Amino acid sequence: MDLLLARGYDVVSIDLNPPHTECTAVGIVCDLADREALDRNMAAIFAGGPYAVVILNAGISATGRFEKMPVEAYRKLMKVNAEAPMVLASALANAGALKGHLCFVSSLSHFTGYPGAAVYAASKDALAVYAKSIRKPFAKRGIAVTVAYPGPLRTEHAARHAPPGADAARRRDPALAARTMLDAVLAGKRVAFSDPRARTVAVAGGLLPGVMARAMRRVIFEKLDRDVW
Amino acid sequence: MKSRMLITGATSGIGAALAARYAGRADLLLAGRRPYEEVAATLPADAHYVVADQSEPERAAAQIGKALADLGWETLDVVVLNAGTGWSGDPATEPAASIRNTLDANLFAAVTLAHALAALLEGGQLVLVGSTARRGAPRFASYAAAKAGLDGLARALSEEWRGKVRVKIVHPGPTATGMHAKAGFHTGRARALFAPPEMMARLIERAIARRRIRRTISFPQYLAAAVTPWRR
Repeated sequence: MDLLLARGYDVVSIDLNPPHTECTAVGIVCDLADREALDRNMAAIFAGGPYAVVILNAGISATGRFEKMPVEAYRKLMKVNAEAPMVLASALANAGALKGHLCFVSSLSHFTGYPGAAVYAASKDALAVYAKSIRKPFAKRGIAVTVAYPGPLRTEHAARHAPPGADAARRRDPALAARTMLDAVLAGKRVAFSDPRARTVAVAGGLLPGVMARAMRRVIFEKLDRDVW
Repeated sequence: MKSRMLITGATSGIGAALAARYAGRADLLLAGRRPYEEVAATLPADAHYVVADQSEPERAAAQIGKALADLGWETLDVVVLNAGTGWSGDPATEPAASIRNTLDANLFAAVTLAHALAALLEGGQLVLVGSTARRGAPRFASYAAAKAGLDGLARALSEEWRGKVRVKIVHPGPTATGMHAKAGFHTGRARALFAPPEMMARLIERAIARRRIRRTISFPQYLAAAVTPWRR
């Protein structure tokens, strides 16, 4: 968001929290896990348009042993990560409130599998394939669809869900990743990786899915010492 | 002792064909959306039936849990999560309610049931029925998304549950079931090339018996091309 504001865009944010006070973005406060709230806010979201760029980035996770976490956490995760962005994309396109670029933020787990975050992985796979599916029909409406696949980033989200002992210094700077991905979105690319390493991991996952899934089990699932949702 | 098996979406299409194949060889608990009276005539003679609409995942899991408790089944050898539903058309015109229902019935219902049945499944096998649409389908965007989600769930869970529960996913190609009509998609003459559900059930049974985690059941490429004109 800071990057878009710095580049002179007028920004509308849809978030659980309003933008911080010195920020000039227009805030629409909406819990994306609340279907009625999203439906209620849709008119306000359309009114902020027509948009040249829409980035559907909101996401939450649940890491740990699949059967140990409450199913309510999975319900919320599916709504925020997959359902809400799909509903928003479809509604914005149908209302003509978006002419330009549409970006879904999926995850590198689309290529690797993600034992220890099975429902998160499912939600991000769903999002990636929804984006692939709508690319052609949306192109006819003047909307270019990009899927972003960020690798590990130095965010609060990652710190909360990473296994103990994980080296935060090896995660990428989110501001840098945002710039790389935004440039790919504005160039109309079909996919946007956060950094060259993420692209390499994606290629490896495509070639050797079983090996990558097992590696993910070793470096993540077997090291998780707690269930976090 | 015969193995104990749960199949969802078992009153029509691939699910019904699977139930018919396993009838007599396994103790079956079949789950479907419709009331018992409507489907009784089509169910295999010895099969048990529970009404569980996968469009309401939490409720369906509770209903299946109760049916298992009533039967006194404390373990399950094979669970086939086959229930599915779709919407077809220009994805920009898909109503929010349809996107939500498609994700719920195809994907979240599987998450909820896998979660609810984890303890009963130890030593057994969880089989998810996906679709070749999981790679993307412009006229079935939310359905393709949900099936891709199932694939991700299977890939993660098969690693997590290694040595405990075998998790597999089977992706059937186009099959002559009622799903396309229900989704509002006219298959036209291409339908002649769709696999009969019985043949698909046979191929799925074979996949269940094998070790591979992911199995795609598709026609040769030229047939696939004939039934997916949007791909060109």
